Amino acid sequence: MKKVKNTIVKYKLFFILAGLAILLLLPLVITKSVYMRHVCNVLIFATLASSLNIINGYSGQMCLGQAGFFAVGAYTCAILTTNYGWSFWVVWPVAGCLAALMGYLVSLPTLRLQGIYLSFVTLGFSEIIRIIAQTWTPVTGGNMGIKGIPFPIIFGKELFKPHDYYYILLATLLLFLFITSRILRSRIGRAWISIREESNAARSLGVEISRYKSMNFTYGAFWAGMIGAAYAPYVNFVDSSQFSLDTGFDALAMVVIGGQGTLIGPIIGSVVVTVLTESLRFLQYWRFVIYALIIIAMMWVRPQGIAGASNSILAGGKIRRSSRKKAISRNR
Amino acid sequence: MMSKNRADAPVLLEARGVCKYFGGLKAIENVDMTIRKGDVFGIIGPNGAGKTTFFNICTGVFAPTKGEILLHGENIAGLTPEEIARKRMARTFQNIQLFKFMSVLENVQIGCHINTKTRMFDAVFQTKTYKKDEQYIAERSMDILQKIGLEEFAEMKAGNLPYGSQRKVEIARALALDPEILLLDEPAAGMNPNETMELREFILQLNEAGYTIVVIEHDMKFIMNSCNHILVLNFGQKIFEGAPEQVKANHDVQVAYFGKGIIARG
Amino acid sequence: MEYVVNQIINGICQGAIYALIAIGYSIIVGVVGMVTFTYGEIVMIGAFAAYYTFQLVGTNLVLAILASFAASFIVGGIVYKLCYERFFNSPRHISLLCTIGFSILIKNLAQIIFGPDTKPMINIIENKSYTLEAFGISIVIKQLQIMVLVLVIISSVALTFLFQKTKYGIALRAVSQDKTAAYMVGINVRRTAMVGNCIGCGFGGVAGILLSIYYYSCSPLMGSSFSMKAFSSSVLGGLVDIRMSALGGLCIGIIENMGIMISSATFRDIFAFGFLIIVLIIKPTGFASSGKNRRVKSEKG
Repeated sequence: MKKVKNTIVKYKLFFILAGLAILLLLPLVITKSVYMRHVCNVLIFATLASSLNIINGYSGQMCLGQAGFFAVGAYTCAILTTNYGWSFWVVWPVAGCLAALMGYLVSLPTLRLQGIYLSFVTLGFSEIIRIIAQTWTPVTGGNMGIKGIPFPIIFGKELFKPHDYYYILLATLLLFLFITSRILRSRIGRAWISIREESNAARSLGVEISRYKSMNFTYGAFWAGMIGAAYAPYVNFVDSSQFSLDTGFDALAMVVIGGQGTLIGPIIGSVVVTVLTESLRFLQYWRFVIYALIIIAMMWVRPQGIAGASNSILAGGKIRRSSRKKAISRNR
Repeated sequence: MMSKNRADAPVLLEARGVCKYFGGLKAIENVDMTIRKGDVFGIIGPNGAGKTTFFNICTGVFAPTKGEILLHGENIAGLTPEEIARKRMARTFQNIQLFKFMSVLENVQIGCHINTKTRMFDAVFQTKTYKKDEQYIAERSMDILQKIGLEEFAEMKAGNLPYGSQRKVEIARALALDPEILLLDEPAAGMNPNETMELREFILQLNEAGYTIVVIEHDMKFIMNSCNHILVLNFGQKIFEGAPEQVKANHDVQVAYFGKGIIARG
Repeated sequence: MEYVVNQIINGICQGAIYALIAIGYSIIVGVVGMVTFTYGEIVMIGAFAAYYTFQLVGTNLVLAILASFAASFIVGGIVYKLCYERFFNSPRHISLLCTIGFSILIKNLAQIIFGPDTKPMINIIENKSYTLEAFGISIVIKQLQIMVLVLVIISSVALTFLFQKTKYGIALRAVSQDKTAAYMVGINVRRTAMVGNCIGCGFGGVAGILLSIYYYSCSPLMGSSFSMKAFSSSVLGGLVDIRMSALGGLCIGIIENMGIMISSATFRDIFAFGFLIIVLIIKPTGFASSGKNRRVKSEKG
């Protein structure tokens, strides 16, 4: 296992380039539109789960309402492009920023609330957004939703086939990974992680935890909004049922199964969960039973997830015995 | 530095009439304290005397019910711990609070937080500020680890280290703040006599290097041998403040520590 | 004016059921020390247990209450074994996710076993209403509402008796206040926590019957919206304080019905959550005095 890890680290650049090449050429290999749709779904959920991972995995806050930010992004995009005729490329960052603003507002109570109370606020926020989307008919279309969201146009070409749209979603995910990995390598990322690991110690070292928590929330919400905005034209139709709490819980399950606190974790999680639920579609309700059992089993066996940060409090709060012994003997 | 006349040194940290009540419990009652630059200042007292509470008031964990804490003459009572840390006052904890799952190096790197200025923008575009900061952090944290003698454990998870070394990591992390004043809460707790000796040497070295140090400790020998000025607390009240020899000779302190009966007989 | 008073009465009645749900919820949170997301599903199990009892034995309310208490009690035991017992010393998100997983599990198993449709509940009580004339206002109270209120009051009294007077209740209170101290004085913390969790779930089940009777229906998906109500009420009451949680439930019931008055019924949940968020921002500990739930607040999460 360690050998594999070392090899990966050694040829990191090679692996990244190879992965990129595969991802770029994927639409040429997969010819069927149906399969490409699944790939696009994976990308959407991977980005959504990753944005949640920023909040839950890196700063250790417990956000349960990521669907709310996702909805803000999707509805902003849908409303502005469909009803007001804005260009997708303008709306995209606007939607992200609006979601970020929402994230900031939701995070304000974090100055006073901790732990589970924060979770409740995010949960309530997500539900409020959904109910507003369901009931504010003149703007959001109410139960009817918004239909016929225009596809983005690039170089005069309308991107409506999943094969083309794939690149927008891929670009979103890659951009996210690029920017986030840079932030994580700076003092901001370290401050987030220090808050997750031991907030009292972080405070004693001068990390302004409320500011960093709120920054973290805003950043996570921003990306949820971005992917929401990219999602709306892709499905061409939004209504409130797409943004229920279950969507948020799905994203959460992907983060948890894939692994919290690493960049790759949520991506693996979204691949695993999407492949599983799609391939088991014929089982109807049983597939959710299996899905639920996997979540529980994961928590029992490997709480940090498949590729989760083992060097973290997320791994269940225990330090592995063997490495501890080694350290002591080495010290002597 | 200790050998110089203490009274000449400027006052660094001062407590004036500090009180802290938890409901009806008077945890700290009217405590005064003067710490001068270059001190190794000891705070002692029997269990439950309010030492740690007093410490927590100084570092902003609690706001005092009454009274002032002055750092360089500026009242810092009621500020948050992070604001106080920014005023270059660092601390360690009685029950070690390391980032146990992170490497020793990362622990110290987080300590450099307040001395760097990277913002989101800098981090994303890797601007000059970012590069300068990262270089500073890398150099400074390695430097500190070397000074403390932990460089061989730099890559190891902090939680995997033996107890004594964990204490050292905590101190190293606090030093990364570049503090003027360093507050150590029972640094020798749980250490064996050898480790305690080493720690004493280490604290004296730090003091030589110009840090003002405040220590809470149970170990009388440790305090008497390392501190130049001692505050004695009992039941939340100050019962004495003075040089180690004076503390030893003081009747109230003896009563607090050994009880009345023994003194009378002895 | 008449409308207002009647809406308030509706609110009180609905709030009373919410209060019962919230009581069960805050027992669980208090005794186990962790937050649960399976609670809505347990309420649903209670409702279905009653539904099938009515189907099989006929309209025997006492039997139905016993059946749903028992069913929820048993499911509560499974939840405890699966989601809590292993994770007492782990970070809280682990057990939280387990409960989310378990809730998905029950919800879908219920759809497989009971069928996905909403089932009509039998009218177990005559649809009769009494009209009171006072101060020139005619107040309408349904017989059903009276019955629900009486049942809620009976269960609350039973619970108070259990918690205040029996040895087991005192052990439960001790565990919910301080697990370590309870352990020191020789209480079997794990078993007590388990039984406490099951009792909380049992009350959820009883609330489930009342809900299904009140709305004349039960469905496998009824849980989630009521579990949100339970969270809201007990967060409002400071999570572990049982009496305050009951008060929180009442408040939410009344506020919802007042909200419906000034807008439409679809906005009902917005009022509940909006109120909750405002209260949390003003006073994070809810109605409870701030010292009481320091323990839950200080836990890492």
